[in-house]
Amino acid sequence: MNVLITGAAGGLGRALATECARRGWNLFLTDVNEAGLKNIQCGLERQYGITVTTGVCDLTSSGDVDEMMAIIDEHNIRFDMLLNIAGIDFEGGFLSREREKVVKIVSINDAATLRITHAILERRRPGGHFTVVFVSSLASMFPMPLKATYAASKRFLLDFATSLRQELKSQDANVLALCPGGLVTRDDTVQAIEAQGFWGSVTTNPLEIVARKTLDRALAGKAIYVPGGLNQTLSFFGKIIPRSWVAAVVYWRWTKSQKKWLTAAETAG
Amino acid sequence: MKTIVITGATSGIGLETARILCRQGFRVLSVGHSKKNCELAKADLLSGNPEAQLTCFAADLMQQHEVLRVANELTAYINENCGGELYALINNAGCARNWYMTTDEGYEQQFALNYLAGFLLTHELLPLLLKSGGRVLMTGSESHKGIKVHWNDVMLRRGYNPLTAYKQSKLCDILFAKGLNDRHSADGLRAYVLDPGLVHTDIGSKAAGGIVGVVWALRKRHGVEPSVPAETYAFLCNPEREPQGLYYHLCEENTYSKEVTRENADRLFALSERLCGIRYESSSKGAIA
Repeated sequence: MNVLITGAAGGLGRALATECARRGWNLFLTDVNEAGLKNIQCGLERQYGITVTTGVCDLTSSGDVDEMMAIIDEHNIRFDMLLNIAGIDFEGGFLSREREKVVKIVSINDAATLRITHAILERRRPGGHFTVVFVSSLASMFPMPLKATYAASKRFLLDFATSLRQELKSQDANVLALCPGGLVTRDDTVQAIEAQGFWGSVTTNPLEIVARKTLDRALAGKAIYVPGGLNQTLSFFGKIIPRSWVAAVVYWRWTKSQKKWLTAAETAG
Repeated sequence: MKTIVITGATSGIGLETARILCRQGFRVLSVGHSKKNCELAKADLLSGNPEAQLTCFAADLMQQHEVLRVANELTAYINENCGGELYALINNAGCARNWYMTTDEGYEQQFALNYLAGFLLTHELLPLLLKSGGRVLMTGSESHKGIKVHWNDVMLRRGYNPLTAYKQSKLCDILFAKGLNDRHSADGLRAYVLDPGLVHTDIGSKAAGGIVGVVWALRKRHGVEPSVPAETYAFLCNPEREPQGLYYHLCEENTYSKEVTRENADRLFALSERLCGIRYESSSKGAIA
């Protein structure tokens, strides 16, 4: 099993890479963070005795992706799975963020994801089953004021994954959209989740379990994976309640928790 | 003047230990998580003792690349200013994590910081420690009893439980001390583990999260002040004595888990050497003691 993982040096990327390594799969890891890639490569090789290949790549640059594909073709590597983890998130009001930072959310979360997905689907192992995972978000289920661009960029991935799944059904491939609530990946995510109080904690799911179940479900041919019973309920209500009402409630809640989070971040220095 | 390195020395047990050891005339090299914490701790120590010989180093010790970097800095400093001799290394830095979180290498954070960082740092500083027939000390915990090392899943990826991860990391600390004594006591090196008891510190508050943070906030109220375990560290660092035990509480030898065996220590050494990409040479005096 040859697997390519984008954003592999981040928290969720590392967790999925570890889960793949545990299953003995061959890994090709990419990230923009070269030092981070080296560290996780080293850790996985030492823990599981597997060989891990890495490629530093800025997925928003088509030149970078072309270069990486040239290396992949040179070694005639063909893939059985693609895990699209690379993504970013800036919180805050649309006008309180810099213009290019807002645009960057879409260039990384959506445009770059399309670029690498297209490139790797062209390099799937002939005659084999193929699996693609997109990391959408629980946020994709609702309009989310103060996380407007992020949530919309994740909605794009959810809809795209659903359509692509249909297109590829006849070609022995499955596409899964992972829609997690909170995942604790870094120290500052702990703070952010605490700032959301009760709702932050209860929508948070254990990273290692989400990683395992994501692969299980993707291989079982599922379309969407929303971790956690409460998150599934919330996403259900997201479908039946009028979207403008949801937006009002979300706005009210985020205004409160963001204030708290910003104060906490300031006092923590 | 003898030199002692203390990790996690900017708060809690580490800070109080640094305070006592400075007062007793040791040169203290402290390692803290951030420059800011280091400066605050230094100002605190110097305000009560302007003569203190204290130098601070900042490093995020749960990341192996950071351990290696700070080990190089410490080695250079000790070679230049301390005659290349390190009298004692206190591996005290530790954390509690409610959630399964990993380091840059993908290692579970409590295992990585509470145990593995000390294993790697000790290896890097071993030549300096052996020169002075030094001591290696670890902050352990009574909670290491009643648990075994999960050999097949040492990072506890299946069924992660914060308390199990914490307890296991502390059991590993004692196994490490035992393995060090097995390998290097013939060279004059001694390793000890200290049981601090329940101490009023912030270990369960810093980025621990969830239920761990809540439980710790309640529990720590019943703890002793960090200066109490610091006294035991001072006792174990006293060059006029050479305590022969392995595990100490309130300056007295204590019993430890039956899991602390030669076989388990060797098994942990082999695993940890692989996870760190290093190899502990056996005693330079030939046969393992």
